[in-house]
Amino acid sequence: MEKTDDIKIKRGLDVLNSHKDSKLISHLNSCVHCGLCAKTCLYYLTTKDERFIPARKVELVSSIYRRYFTFTGRTFPGLVKARELDDKTVEEMVDLLYGACVMCGRCVQHCSIGVDIEYVVRKGREMLAEMGYVPGSLQSTVKAALETGNNMGISYEDFVDTVEWMEEELQDECNDTEARIPLNEHGKNVLYTLNPREPKFFPLSISAMAKVFYAAKESWTLSTNMYDVTNYAYFSSHPGEAKKIAQRMYDEMHKMKAKRLVLGECGHGVRSNRWEASNYIEKEFPFEAITSVELMAEYIRDGRIKPDKERIKDTVTLHDPCNLTRGSGVIKEQRYILKNCVNDLVEMTPHGTDNFCCGGGGGQLAMSEYNDRRLKIAELKIGQIRKTGAVIVATPCHNCIDQLIQINVTYNLNVQIKTLAEIVADSLPV
Amino acid sequence: MTWYSWLAIASLAICLAGCIYHLIRLIKLGKPKDYSRKSGSPGSGIIYSFTGAMNPVNKESAYLNLPTYIAGVIYHMGTFLAIILFFVFFFTTTLNKMITLPLVLFLFLSAIFGTGILFKRVTDKKLKQLSNPDDYISNMLVTGFQAATGIVLLIPDASYPVYMVIASLLLLYLPVGKLKHAIYFFAARYHIGYFYGWRNVWPAAKHSR
Repeated sequence: MEKTDDIKIKRGLDVLNSHKDSKLISHLNSCVHCGLCAKTCLYYLTTKDERFIPARKVELVSSIYRRYFTFTGRTFPGLVKARELDDKTVEEMVDLLYGACVMCGRCVQHCSIGVDIEYVVRKGREMLAEMGYVPGSLQSTVKAALETGNNMGISYEDFVDTVEWMEEELQDECNDTEARIPLNEHGKNVLYTLNPREPKFFPLSISAMAKVFYAAKESWTLSTNMYDVTNYAYFSSHPGEAKKIAQRMYDEMHKMKAKRLVLGECGHGVRSNRWEASNYIEKEFPFEAITSVELMAEYIRDGRIKPDKERIKDTVTLHDPCNLTRGSGVIKEQRYILKNCVNDLVEMTPHGTDNFCCGGGGGQLAMSEYNDRRLKIAELKIGQIRKTGAVIVATPCHNCIDQLIQINVTYNLNVQIKTLAEIVADSLPV
Repeated sequence: MTWYSWLAIASLAICLAGCIYHLIRLIKLGKPKDYSRKSGSPGSGIIYSFTGAMNPVNKESAYLNLPTYIAGVIYHMGTFLAIILFFVFFFTTTLNKMITLPLVLFLFLSAIFGTGILFKRVTDKKLKQLSNPDDYISNMLVTGFQAATGIVLLIPDASYPVYMVIASLLLLYLPVGKLKHAIYFFAARYHIGYFYGWRNVWPAAKHSR
């Protein structure tokens, strides 16, 4: 790891010393070190490693804050274990804040005090990002998004080819040569965004959503310029880079003159565009931004699509993406959809706002440095899925899909992993 | 007035000044400005943060650690009681015998739980690694304060000077150590209530669990 220097240290400390409101000092001064958060964290639960207790992650950041910005920490650092921001501290921060936190926010809801642990972890990551210590693999994903417009670096030609191929699939499926996947059409009701993993690895999920739009007779389009719903700078926590990506989506909505920005099935994509983007660019959105999950629930509720639940007879369970439930309050809609589309829905224990992360959150899937850890912490999710006896695991998040596919193989789960759009499309008798 | 009364009053003044400093800083920095379109109610989220979210049935930190949770609740109740009695003692240390005994019993019970929490901090490996000297000092000061309050109720004349010294130490330490969570706890709960309320995550009752 590259050594720290005065400039880097100043950049890191500036993050702790620039306050837009009282949120940061409230959370940095609140933890009482009770340690009761340990059993809420999948890292601790699966490894029993004390370093992974959420309070230890908060303590890393708050001990630096105390050292430089409090009377007690400056005068008697030993009394409050105030830490210098030096090479050793930075190394520990990278390992724990990037490599041992999925930013699922489960510990936050169960903290005895109410410390927003996830927020403190993000601030710690922001310090590291400003100092230039984002893990290489994660930073290369951010870089691809900044340089090519999508995090997988898919070329314009490849994207258009894939969409045209999926349009043919859609026409076959719907037996209608007029069925389309519109590209770059202005003034539509919906600008649909998706995870670049879809055109790259799972193109059938694009045609599945297109089938839902077709059935709902929706006026929609994709943009070849900006279709990427993800914002990996949310995970690296570099505010400048996150702002650039958020601004691009905002500008595209204006350019396309669409009424609704519909965020595809990607937990952090939803969170970063629905909630964080306006704060990155410090502007309120003049348009509506909703998730495709909410949109599909709306179609069913309004009778615009009529799924036939008899078409899916296998037992289905739902994996709740953390950023959709705890991060965005979308909890009922995915259940409403599944109850209308499948015959037998079995909930995991726990679920909803108490769900466990799949293990791939917080940018873990993009950080190959921590692959072994990521597969280890999935043990909890494996146990949850096995207990349901489900044949199909549905989840409205491509990040979760990737992790679930990997652990399906690693742990011989033998289940099918599907997006909600795929489930809805399968249940539609078009 | 005695020297120890002066000492306590001076410590109380310093403590209040320290707490007001923290409070003013929080107020001056203000509440968050969220540019996203809200889908819930921050007000309801804040109310839930101080009510439903604190319910031990909803908190794993409580129901998975019930003995520690109960000890913690009683310990905090003992602290509030001792603080109330601190102000009462400026007027009288002799209370009605009917209430003295239950108060003493509760304060001693709370001090025992405080000692238990301290013991856990010393012996539990994961807690020990998480702790710093401030954690031990804060616990000892509060536990000592509770026990001394109980002793004053039993033998006022003999114990009052020592009690006032302990109370003064606690008051002087409160704004600079971990005990300042007495202020920041409310700010932290306000902020997570605001955050989850804005995003329609809290109150949780409206979602299926």
